[in-house]
Amino acid sequence: MASLRLRNLSVEFSIYQGGSRSLKKMLVATTTQGNLARDAADRINVRALDDVTLDIEDGDRVALIGPNGAGKTTLLRVLAGIYSPTRGESYSSGRISALLDVSLGLNPEATGRENIMLRGIYMNIHPREMRSRVAEIVEFTELGPYIDMPARTYSAGMLVRLGFAISTSMPAEILLMDEWLLAGDARFLDKAQRRMEQFVGSSSILVLASHSTDLLRKWCNRGIMLERGRVAASGNVDEVIATYIGPPAQTKSADRSATNSHVGAT
Amino acid sequence: MSIDLPRPVSRTEAAWDDLVEGISKSWIWSAMAMQDIKMRYRGSLLGPFWLTISMVIMVAAMGLIYARMFNMEVNRYLPFLTVGLVIWNFVSTMIIEGCQTFLSAHNIITQVRMPFSVHAWRGVYRNLIVLAHNMVIIPLVLLIFSVPVGWNVLIIVPALAILTINGVWVSILLGMISARYRDVPPIVTNFVQVLFFVTPVFWPPEALGIWMQALPLNPLFAAVDVVRAPLLGSTPLAYSWTVLLIITVIGCIGTFLLFVKFRPRIAYWI
Repeated sequence: MASLRLRNLSVEFSIYQGGSRSLKKMLVATTTQGNLARDAADRINVRALDDVTLDIEDGDRVALIGPNGAGKTTLLRVLAGIYSPTRGESYSSGRISALLDVSLGLNPEATGRENIMLRGIYMNIHPREMRSRVAEIVEFTELGPYIDMPARTYSAGMLVRLGFAISTSMPAEILLMDEWLLAGDARFLDKAQRRMEQFVGSSSILVLASHSTDLLRKWCNRGIMLERGRVAASGNVDEVIATYIGPPAQTKSADRSATNSHVGAT
Repeated sequence: MSIDLPRPVSRTEAAWDDLVEGISKSWIWSAMAMQDIKMRYRGSLLGPFWLTISMVIMVAAMGLIYARMFNMEVNRYLPFLTVGLVIWNFVSTMIIEGCQTFLSAHNIITQVRMPFSVHAWRGVYRNLIVLAHNMVIIPLVLLIFSVPVGWNVLIIVPALAILTINGVWVSILLGMISARYRDVPPIVTNFVQVLFFVTPVFWPPEALGIWMQALPLNPLFAAVDVVRAPLLGSTPLAYSWTVLLIITVIGCIGTFLLFVKFRPRIAYWI
């Protein structure tokens, strides 16, 4: 059974400034006092995730919401096994597909077809398996002869179509997604919606970070709200979204009041 | 709700698993290395053989003058220089590119989970491919200058294997240090450039007279010597193999210990 579990997990970033990035300054600092030492030890510690404990089970489709900088991307990276926790433990069971950047590993000098194979490798899919999916991906992108041209000749929309098609070609057990923007023409968006539904529907666990409450309500059954690295709310997706947006204002729209209330909070 | 959680994985186990997984997923790093080479030479006429050509030009230019300077016959100096340069390029490029192991993989490291050792193998394999292209010139040179090569030339296979292993630990070690301290890559580059002049690559070890016996203390000399000597029909200096093996063992163990400690921080450093 697929599952993701975190226990008292914290992630701390040290932001290394100028001096502490230099080996020379670090070595000199151990032999001198004063400014050089301060410069060399010049780092800011940021706690991106603070004592997070959660369990995500088979069948959960979790909406990850929170203001910018709350720790959503960091949490996704920890779940994906990209970041090791500074404190606490992370356990996972099942094959994880982290789709955090739709254009991962895209090489502008390589052709679209070569990029499909490349991307497969980064996604831990053996070339043998990827080759059997290439035809289907090429057909979906509708790029035609452009598929054999270098990716640097593609427009932004074409790149998204390619990245999206590759990312959704391989069914995933645990799917982690980060704020996907579907830029593209109306006809592609329609096709993309259906493919997305199929793709998401075939996964056991979904964790989706997004600001689009419509998307989240449509695809998720649970919600987790992060604020400044801590789990501020957890439960049914509609309830958590309601908590995030805050009480609706009398005359203004609910969305606008959400922006106002969060500007006030930070 | 009581859930049975698995025993947490220790850092040592995680580091070991990383190395094992890295070697076993050879299809990942071999494909990435091939892609690197393809991209590097896309649009060029001769591809990786440009390196071979530039080496031939360098050897031709230096050959006559330096042979004279070191009092060596041209037909002994030219094979010596050619073989030395090919191996030196392999070893020095692995060291210099080793600094970029994790830095150049910044995008991958922060987007997908992959063993860190994969990036080290990618660089080493890429350099092996380049070495293979450069090595074609060696049999030609040996033939032209009638160098007496015996069956002991087969020893270059294990010798190159040892150099490859060293390439991996150097890539991981320098990769980690460079990810944390950003001024390390240029320091290493300068260091290697200086080593080129003090290591007998373009000058014969005999030029040092009795000091020649101290040469194996320079591990880069030991690395070049164990591959060059058999190819020139002679044997390496007394302690070259010993030094090389000691460096390999210390390097692997030392780097592993540091890898255990700092592997979890790499994604944060880059």
